[in-house]
Amino acid sequence: MSQKLVIDPVTRVEGHGKVTIQLDEENKVTDAKFHIVEFRGFERFIQGHPYWEAPVMVQRLCGICPVSHHLAAAKAIDQIVGIEPEDLSVPAQKIRKLLHFGQVFQSHALHFFYLASPDLLFGAESDPLKRNVVGVAMEYPELAKKGILMRKFGQEIIKLVAGKRIHGISTTPGGVHKRVSAKERTYFLDGKDIPSIDTMIKWSIEIIDFMKSYHITNKEFLDSFAKYPSGHLGLVNKKNGFLELYDGVLRATDGNGNITLNDIPNDDYDQYFYESVKKWTYLKFPYLRHLGKEKGWNRVGPLARMNICEGIETPLAERERLDFKAITNGGINNMTMYTHWARLIEVLYCAEMMKNLLEDDDILSNDLIRKGERRKEGIGIIEAPRGTLIHHYEVDDKDRITRCNLIVSTTHNNEPMNQAVRWVANNVLDGKPKITEGMLNQVEVAIRAYDPCLSCATHALGQMPLEISLYDPAGNIIDSKRN
Amino acid sequence: MKNNTIILGIGNVGRQDDGLGWLFLDFLEDEDFEGIDIEYRYQLQIEDAELICNYQTVIFIDATKEITKKGYYYKHCEPSDQFGFSTHELAPETILFLANQLYNHDPKAFILGIQGHEWNLEVGLSKTAKENLDKAKEYFGTNIFSRHVLSS
Repeated sequence: MSQKLVIDPVTRVEGHGKVTIQLDEENKVTDAKFHIVEFRGFERFIQGHPYWEAPVMVQRLCGICPVSHHLAAAKAIDQIVGIEPEDLSVPAQKIRKLLHFGQVFQSHALHFFYLASPDLLFGAESDPLKRNVVGVAMEYPELAKKGILMRKFGQEIIKLVAGKRIHGISTTPGGVHKRVSAKERTYFLDGKDIPSIDTMIKWSIEIIDFMKSYHITNKEFLDSFAKYPSGHLGLVNKKNGFLELYDGVLRATDGNGNITLNDIPNDDYDQYFYESVKKWTYLKFPYLRHLGKEKGWNRVGPLARMNICEGIETPLAERERLDFKAITNGGINNMTMYTHWARLIEVLYCAEMMKNLLEDDDILSNDLIRKGERRKEGIGIIEAPRGTLIHHYEVDDKDRITRCNLIVSTTHNNEPMNQAVRWVANNVLDGKPKITEGMLNQVEVAIRAYDPCLSCATHALGQMPLEISLYDPAGNIIDSKRN
Repeated sequence: MKNNTIILGIGNVGRQDDGLGWLFLDFLEDEDFEGIDIEYRYQLQIEDAELICNYQTVIFIDATKEITKKGYYYKHCEPSDQFGFSTHELAPETILFLANQLYNHDPKAFILGIQGHEWNLEVGLSKTAKENLDKAKEYFGTNIFSRHVLSS
């Protein structure tokens, strides 16, 4: 008798998703899908609101990366008031970047320490009662304490710039609301009240060293698990092709490193992207139209960014990037589990950038807002922690939003995550006489590497977990897993 | 962090009665109670274990679906290692457990649960929740504040 496995909810991800795996009479995998079962329709209900409300409203998409939505929307709204990214005042650019690096730093720390490290430290098939952040705190207290303080540091940076740690407000059309004071920045530099930015850099390096050691001892698993060729998409610096998180041009490569999107300006994105829909999920499938649905999908996020960039402007992160690239002799890395390592290199990059910005007197300036000539359309693209985030708005003469299109990082990663599920189904579950909890967790380990934010991707509210189920050939659930 | 007591209000004012915890903090701010630091939370996270280590007394305030006799309950909160394995959202008991495990800190801890009834995507409390909030405020002013804030 054939059967269907359902993982529902998938755990330790942001949002609610479900995995179904169909097995035949001999337990051979015949189908595997990653479904997103939330729906909200943020793009629709923002219509009719005045454009200046967008950066405030859309950040409510998420409690983990609201800053990313706030900034992407702000960049789009800047255009509506006639300001290109390079037209912002230098202090406003730097204050926004400080906010952004604080956000990416805390989000990546959250993912590594709270969500991913239990699998890495205890093993994907270890006791699920221990395989969680409390288990990490009990067995690795020093690591847990560093994780807490690194996340706290990023959140304090967000609070500095935006007023509070979640859903604060920093931007205004054409700039930012407030500067940083000398006293405020000292809080992050002197190490008296919280560990200093120099400590953050030191700890970031230590965590990367841990990850490198982990790769040495677990090389076979990490090199093979959920490895499959894919496109890689992200922003790069328009001048030198370096890693860029706040403002750049769009670049993509295929799984062999051939350029498939050659440094496209943000405003042209909709000439290159299509989104397809499927009946079994609310999450769309973006792809590069000139390559088609089958070949045009891309990973986004830390691994993609390491693959497409030509360097990193901060010295310590660049040194780590070179070590990372040496694994593949400078070529494209399609090994999904290397996403964790890439993410930690970005943690170090963000720490170095925050130090540079905190020590820069421009953030103390009151030159914060620019004005330009009103337009009817604005597009903002940034690299959110999870990958390329696109906000696109059109407004009417009464300043009301008439159209909104959001392509969120996790949406780009929809097909890659489905590929990951199929890889585990075919390589771990296929033909096995008994399916264990540890095997099912490997499905989640593959998804978790992408740090998906399913609420963002469907713009959804509600319960957050993710599920796996097992179906027989008649469509009856015979086993399932959820929290 | 200048006081001995921290009160963490948990909830979301965009989900009707789920905003009870935050609205209670608004009341504390408006009334300017002395000796208290307050923090608003959508959900508790592991870093709150580090935060509460700066205090002798912790009070968690949240909306509850539990049926209560008075419209609210107030009780001791004990450390526990029980944890939903899927998420980074933590219970007050787990926060206390982590504070003890990671920082060897064991504050006096209490939970004020205020009964709510409506949880839809709307701003504003239900009529019954408003009444329960008022009862909880009165109890805080006449009882909790003197027993667990001024004495800490």
